[in-house]
Amino acid sequence: MLTNLLPTLTATPLLAVGLTLAAYLVGSAVFIRLGKPSWLPAILIAALLLAAILALLGQPYATYQQGATWLTVLLGPATVALGMPLYQQLPHIHELWRPLAACLPIAAALAACYALGIAWLLGASPDILASIAAKSVTAPIAIGITEQLGGNVALLMGSLLVTGVLTIPFVSLAARLLRINDERIIGFALGLNGHAIGTVRAFDISPTAGAFASLGMSLTGIFTALLLPLAWRLVGIGAG
Amino acid sequence: MPALNGLLWLISYWLIGEVVIHFSGLPISSGVVGMLLLCTTLAVIGRVPASLAAAAQPLIALLAMLIMPGVVGVFFILNELAGQWLAIVAALLLGTLLSVFTTLWLLTRLMGRSHAD
Repeated sequence: MLTNLLPTLTATPLLAVGLTLAAYLVGSAVFIRLGKPSWLPAILIAALLLAAILALLGQPYATYQQGATWLTVLLGPATVALGMPLYQQLPHIHELWRPLAACLPIAAALAACYALGIAWLLGASPDILASIAAKSVTAPIAIGITEQLGGNVALLMGSLLVTGVLTIPFVSLAARLLRINDERIIGFALGLNGHAIGTVRAFDISPTAGAFASLGMSLTGIFTALLLPLAWRLVGIGAG
Repeated sequence: MPALNGLLWLISYWLIGEVVIHFSGLPISSGVVGMLLLCTTLAVIGRVPASLAAAAQPLIALLAMLIMPGVVGVFFILNELAGQWLAIVAALLLGTLLSVFTTLWLLTRLMGRSHAD
């Protein structure tokens, strides 16, 4: 009987959806219980938990992923929904548009180029390069970019987590060394480099830092989404 | 059900994004096109309709959960990445450190200059 149970349950997407919801809720609860550590985001706890459950059940990732499509299809409308906070931040753009317009293209392009250059020098394959290129872009947009480049979305997700978690101590270190106290600059750097994870941290600093972090995150996402796939095609890395 | 109304907006903008990409052949995801169109629309209207906020806010709050199925995948490809680890970790670590320094330094210089103007 028990041997038949798992195939019966996995016949509907509801097991995958239910496991995802449960892992997410437990992960968030554990995260709060641990005092919201910045080096261990709730999503990492939840993902570890979910991976362990899938391994215990002996369920292949592909089967799970297929069922979870019922959730991931919502990423499309959720990405569109980001247009609303973007609109609400337009006053900030208006206030400082000149330095931001000059900084954003350079900083967002370098966020991708530094990592790509280092990985390329160390002999990473084109697949790997395509998977880590969008490492500083917020996940819903980064997934779209990585699919365009032909990279591996799972590796992208890992890169996003690592980048987001590292950005937080790096920004405090760099701000101390460069003697920067301006919360707007610190917030913008957190969002530009550390996407949603950095933005959450910026909101802990102050609402102003948070607003500039969301702005940095949105603008980096748009800039990278518009130009990276195009640049990729021109340079011809994807063809390798 | 104002939220359903708002959800229809979001889905429609995503579908419009698909149409734009289909005909333009641009290598962009339809979510990004939809997001820019939505932002432009809101800027033209000059406010956020309540029905749209009712759908957009909960969806944005759920983003972390929606990307979880993808995050889990990284634990299942660890073997495939053997031999590439050094390159990946070095790229993420050094790349992020360098890019954080560049952003802070650049923005400080640019903002200083614009204040001096």
